[in-house]
Amino acid sequence: MRVSLYVPADTWLHRLDPMTKLLMAAAGVALTFVLARIESGAVLWAIFFTVLGTGRVLRQAGSVFAGVGIIAATFLIVQGLVHPTNATPLIILGPVVFYKEGLLIGLRLALRLYNILSATLVLVLATNPADLTEALVRRGAPARLGYVIMSVLQIIPTMVAQSAAIADAQRSRGMETEGSLWVRVKAFLPLMGPLVTSSLIATEERALALEVRGFGSSARPTFLKPEVRPPHAGLVRIMCVLTLAAGVAGRLLLGW
Amino acid sequence: MAVVEVDNLRYRYPRQTTLALDGISFTAEAGEFIGIVGPNLSGKSTLCHALIGLVPHFYKGAIGGRVVVAGLDVHATPVAEMSRRVGLVFQNPFTQITGAKLTVYEEVAFGLEYTGVPREEMVPRIEEALRLLGLWELRDRSPFALSGGQMQRLAIASVLAMKPQVLVLDEPTSQLDPSGTREVFEAVAALCRQGITVIMAEHKIELLAEHADRLLVLHQGRLVADGTPRDVLSRAVRGELENEPAPAPPVTEAAAALGWTMPEGGFPVTLDEAVAVGRAVMAGDSGADSR
Amino acid sequence: MSTVIEARNVHFHYTPGVPVLTDVTLSIGPGATAIIGQNGAGKSTFVRLLNGLLKPVSGTILVNGVDTRTQTVASLARTVGLVFQNPSDQLFKSRVIDEVMFGPLNLGFSRDEAEARAREALAQVGLQGVETRNPYDLGLAERKLVTIASVLAMGTSVIILDEPTIAQDHAGVRRLGAIVDELAAAGRTVITITHDMNFVARHFRRVVVFGQGRVLADGDAASVFSRPDILHQTGLEAPQITRLAQALALGETPLTVEQFVDLVRRRLSGSA
Repeated sequence: MRVSLYVPADTWLHRLDPMTKLLMAAAGVALTFVLARIESGAVLWAIFFTVLGTGRVLRQAGSVFAGVGIIAATFLIVQGLVHPTNATPLIILGPVVFYKEGLLIGLRLALRLYNILSATLVLVLATNPADLTEALVRRGAPARLGYVIMSVLQIIPTMVAQSAAIADAQRSRGMETEGSLWVRVKAFLPLMGPLVTSSLIATEERALALEVRGFGSSARPTFLKPEVRPPHAGLVRIMCVLTLAAGVAGRLLLGW
Repeated sequence: MAVVEVDNLRYRYPRQTTLALDGISFTAEAGEFIGIVGPNLSGKSTLCHALIGLVPHFYKGAIGGRVVVAGLDVHATPVAEMSRRVGLVFQNPFTQITGAKLTVYEEVAFGLEYTGVPREEMVPRIEEALRLLGLWELRDRSPFALSGGQMQRLAIASVLAMKPQVLVLDEPTSQLDPSGTREVFEAVAALCRQGITVIMAEHKIELLAEHADRLLVLHQGRLVADGTPRDVLSRAVRGELENEPAPAPPVTEAAAALGWTMPEGGFPVTLDEAVAVGRAVMAGDSGADSR
Repeated sequence: MSTVIEARNVHFHYTPGVPVLTDVTLSIGPGATAIIGQNGAGKSTFVRLLNGLLKPVSGTILVNGVDTRTQTVASLARTVGLVFQNPSDQLFKSRVIDEVMFGPLNLGFSRDEAEARAREALAQVGLQGVETRNPYDLGLAERKLVTIASVLAMGTSVIILDEPTIAQDHAGVRRLGAIVDELAAAGRTVITITHDMNFVARHFRRVVVFGQGRVLADGDAASVFSRPDILHQTGLEAPQITRLAQALALGETPLTVEQFVDLVRRRLSGSA
C-alpha cells in the first residue's frame, strides 16, 4: 500500500529535474485558462497525452481520467440541458433535450478539467515526491513543511498496516466486525481508538527521536544528493516558455 | 578527563510531586561502557534523556544540579546543539525512523542534512557508520522493510554519523529477539573500543555483566550503587542492595549459593568466569562448597 | 495427554511462493507450552491460525475437535484467548475496568458478571486499585498486564500470550511466571511466544522450536535445551545456567539456579 501515486521508471520525463516538471505543469495550467476555443484545448490535451505517453505513465493517467469521467459527464449533461444560452436542440431523447450551445460549453469545461488534471499528473505520476520536496526546500520552503509532506506519504501506509493489527486484536476479544450496519458502527470506536492514541504516542516518540537527530537545529540545511539538471531540461524549459508565449499571442491575436 | 559529569542532578516532571531523579552524581570517561539497571519507573529513561537535554528542554519541569557532557552544560545548550556531541537511541526501533527518507542510506543522512554538514563530509561519514553497524549491504532498502534488529542498528548508525563522543541507549534491545540483541551489544562494544563513551539502560543483566565496565543501579530516582559489574552484582546477590533493585545473572546467583568466588574476590558474573571457577572447584575437591 | 489444539500438515503463506509455515503438525494439550524461535520463524502467524484470524492454506487446525475453517473469529474467541504483543493495538476505553470488561461483554455476559470477571482478572495480574484509571496513564509494563487481564477475564480454556515479558522488569517477569503457573495448574492450555529463555525454563513444561516456518524441535524443556545444535541454528541459546552445566559437563540439564545448585552439590558429595 502506497500513498504516493509516483510510478518509478527511467524516461526522459522521469529524468527531468523537479523544477522543470513544475514549470511544465504551471505552463499547462496557465494555458488551460488562456486558451478559449475547444480546438485549442484539445490540442493542449494532445500535447499532454504525448508527454504522459512518452513518460510511460499513460496507463495510470488513464485510470485517473476514467475516474473523473463522471464529473466531466455531469458538466456535459447539466450545461447541455439548462445553460441560459441554449437555443439549438441537438439530441432529443423523448422529453429530454440537449442543446448544442450548452454541450459545447460543457465540453470546454470538461477539457479544461482534463488539462489541469494532466498538468498535475505530470508532477504526481512522474516525479518522485522526495525529490520535489527537496527541490522546494532548497529554494527556501521551510524544512519542517518538507518533512511533514514526506513523512505523511510514508507513515500513512504504516498506519494502515497497524489498523489491520488492531482489528485482529479486537476480533480476538470476540468483537464482530462484519455483518449489519449496526455491527459495523459499534466496531468503529474499538478500531479507531487504539489507532488514534497509538499514533499520538508514536508521534511524541518520533518527535523526540527527530529532536536528537538535530531536527531543531538553526543551521542552514545541507543536502545529501547534489542537484542535477539533465542536459535536456534546458530545452524542455524553453519549449514550455515558448508554448506559453505562443498560446498567449495566439489567443490575443487570433482568438485561439 | 571525564566526558560525562553529572553532579547532584535532581529533576521533577511537570505536575508531579515526587522527584524522578534525586541527587544523582557520577562521571564517565572516554571509551567507558556504563550500564544503568533498576526496576521500571526507577528513573533510567529520565536519566538517559537528561544526558542530551530532552530533560528539561523538551519535557520542561523543575531541574537542579549540573550535567556536563563533552564539555557542554546540558541545561544551557539546546538539544539540537547537544545532538552533535551526544547520540540517543530509544527503545522502539520503529518510531526512530524519520519516515522522511526512502532508503537506509538517506535515513542516515537525515541528521547530517539538518545540522548543515557539508555534502563532501556526509558521504564518508554515512559509509563509515553503515559499515560499522553491518548495514552497508542493506543501504538501498527502505528503512521500513528492515527487521527489528536491523532497524535498531540503523537508529544507532544514524546517531553515530553525527560523530558523537557519547552514545546513550535507552533499553535498545527490549523489542528484539536474541540474535537482534546480540547484534546490538556487539556493535556497541565495538564503538567503545573506538573511544566512544556508551551509557545503556537495559534489563538484560547477563549481557550487561559481560560487556559493561561499570553498572549504575537506580531505585526510585536515586543512585543506590555504582561500581564494576562484579562489585555491584556480588553485593546484589548478598542482599546488600535495599529492595532488590537489581537482579543478578543466574550464574552469579548459583555461584553465591555454592560459595564459588573469584580469586580476586567477589562472585563470577559471566558464563566464562563461572565456567573457570566451576571447573577449578569440580576438578579439585568439595572445599569451596563447605562454607 | 488430552488434545485441545491440533494442527495437521498446516501450510500457510501471505503471498503465494513465499511460505510462512510449511507442514506444521502439532498437538497441544493443557499445561504450559512455549513457542520459541527467531523473529520471522512463523510463531506469530501460527498462533493467529489457532484463533481463526488466519485460516490454513492447506491442512487443518482443530480446536476441541472443531475445524477453525467452520468458525468465525468471534465464536472461537470463547475458547481461544490471544493477547497481542503491543498493548496499543487494543486499548481504547478510558477506564481500565471497562477495557477488561470489553471481551466478556462481547461474549454475551451481563454487565454485572462481566465486571466481576474483570475484577477477578485484574486481581490475578496484580493490578488492583487502578480500575478507574485511564490505561494510558499507566506505564507500558502495566498496560501490558491490562491486556492480559482483558483476555483472562474471558475465561477461555486456551490462553495465548505473544511476548508477554517485553518491557517487564524483574518483578514483572516473576508475576507473569506466577500467572502462567496458576493457569497451567488449573488445567488451562497456556501457549506463549517468547524470547526470554530463563522465563521458558522456569515456567514451561513443553518447548516447541520454530525455524523458517517448520517445527525444528518439540519436547520437554530439558530435552530441547540440551540440543545446542538446534538452538544455534535458529539463533537461540539455552538459559545461562543450563549452558554453565553443559560447559562443566555435569551430565544433566538443569533449568533453574536451584536445580543447578542441587546438581552440583550432589556431584560434589558423590565425588567426595
